[in-house]
Amino acid sequence: MISSRHRVFPALATFARYGALLVLVLAALGPTLWVVVSSFKNQSQILAPHGSVLPNPGTLHGYRDVFVEVHLDRYLLNSFIYSVGGTLGAMVAGLLAAYPTARLQFPFRHAFTIVFSLALAIPIIGLIVPEFFIMRDLGLLDTRIGLVIFYGAMFFPLSFVIQRAFLASLPYEIEEAAIMDGAGYFTILGRIIVPLARPGLVTVGVLVFIFIWNEFFFAQLLTISIDNFNIQLALAQFVSTFERNDTGALAGATLAMTVPIAAFLLLQRYVVAGLTSGSSR
Amino acid sequence: MIVTTGAPRRRPSTTTRRRRVSGGVPRGMGWGIALSLLPGTALVATFFLIPLGVVVATSFSHWDVVGASYTGLTNYRDLLSDSVFWHAARNTLIYAAAGIFLQIPLAIFVALILSRRPFGWRLFRTILFVPVVISGAAYALIFANFYNASYGPLNRIVESIGLGGHDWLFEVNTALLAVAGTYVFNIGFFMILVMAEITALPVAVSEAAVVDGASSLQRDLYVTIPLLRHVIGTCVLLSLLSSLSFFDIVYILTSGGPADATVSLTVYAFREYASGRWGYANAIGTVIVLVGFVLIVTTRRAFRLGSRAT
Repeated sequence: MISSRHRVFPALATFARYGALLVLVLAALGPTLWVVVSSFKNQSQILAPHGSVLPNPGTLHGYRDVFVEVHLDRYLLNSFIYSVGGTLGAMVAGLLAAYPTARLQFPFRHAFTIVFSLALAIPIIGLIVPEFFIMRDLGLLDTRIGLVIFYGAMFFPLSFVIQRAFLASLPYEIEEAAIMDGAGYFTILGRIIVPLARPGLVTVGVLVFIFIWNEFFFAQLLTISIDNFNIQLALAQFVSTFERNDTGALAGATLAMTVPIAAFLLLQRYVVAGLTSGSSR
Repeated sequence: MIVTTGAPRRRPSTTTRRRRVSGGVPRGMGWGIALSLLPGTALVATFFLIPLGVVVATSFSHWDVVGASYTGLTNYRDLLSDSVFWHAARNTLIYAAAGIFLQIPLAIFVALILSRRPFGWRLFRTILFVPVVISGAAYALIFANFYNASYGPLNRIVESIGLGGHDWLFEVNTALLAVAGTYVFNIGFFMILVMAEITALPVAVSEAAVVDGASSLQRDLYVTIPLLRHVIGTCVLLSLLSSLSFFDIVYILTSGGPADATVSLTVYAFREYASGRWGYANAIGTVIVLVGFVLIVTTRRAFRLGSRAT
């Protein structure tokens, strides 16, 4: 940090501060930017050991390859199915469990709250073998619906914790009158709680969407046929087994990154709020 | 990469607010509540609790394609003398150390600068967060290119300042560093957490330090950073947990090689699973789950994270 004692050199202090920030931005994003820029090169430009940094001339060859030869649209579509379906599952199941545990009295309320919250502390990645066999025995292995259900389950605890905290922060009086009037449980949930729960739902929605879009491990474990691959598995294929197609690889990586980056930029406020409230516990 | 933990921090005083329904389940709502808890209960039971039970139970067995037979502590005894396991454990610790001693301090440094709200701070915050939402697989592909021995930019930079290039990911001496290098500058997540905490600090403390004539450096070192104890604890915990689950980048870039130089616990567990030694894989899985739990408990205690929660 720059000391304010150097008031004689305020310009120097500012310069050093921005210099440090720029160096870190470059370190954090340099390799990524290099890939994005290189995705507009052709094969020989990419492989030239001393070629220029900027594409010269620029080409969309990689983007053509990635759809025509690798059929990236298929994997992008799969990723959309998994992300949208899994996110909806986690959102709905999370809201349904969060509402009563946050706002109503019933037997074993604390037990449910503790078990659902503690599930968040289980490194699910350590449960590879049984997850595989359970999915196989349920007939869900290597199916799209199976992955949607699995992702819904995987992100249910996060969804529950965020939504429960949000619902608990609303004033109690909200549904009191409706309860006194004898309104049914799902009437109250649908008419009164859901409209108010929107910020919590959006936070969970954008976070879980990004997490599922980026998920690799369980996609790798639970899909076998290439038709069910998500975009992340397709990217991994570029590093190892797809026929050498460097232009396609860089274009594919650029396209795969665009979706979560766009989601983040559009809903930045919710992403930041969700991550800071969801993790500083 | 992103892990979240624990129970809500701010919890309203539930007992007083709910006194009016404290008599029991609101009339006619019992079935609604039960139905409402059903999906979550089914999902948690099927994909968390049962698998957890199976992992722990079968970690005491020899289990492969042929079948399972109880073997007591044999798997764990084997783990103790398994040099690859210890290598993976050591690497996992090194991955965590890179997070704790490089990534987190850099994040605090940037958060302290940006919290003074210099011109353009929002832009810097947004840009530095972008890498957080880029997937491990995309990162692996990016760095496979960045480290490429013949055309990768790293060798070009290194050679332009007169040093020798390396095949960074495939030489035993550089591979581990190269893998850690993929994320140490990915500081956005920790930066956001620290910035949120700085915003929540009482202004009076910092003002008192100014009145006492403290320079901004002194204020940061002796006033602000000690007050950030909780959030730094959270960052350390998250860093440990994410290296405990570290998989994508290692698996795609090196599969744990060369000569197990980069293998992590999860990559090793996956390798054992893939070669059909399921009982043994589950012993490693049990270790991962146990270490995860112990980490959460001890780190919360060390940084008194629990003191504000129930």
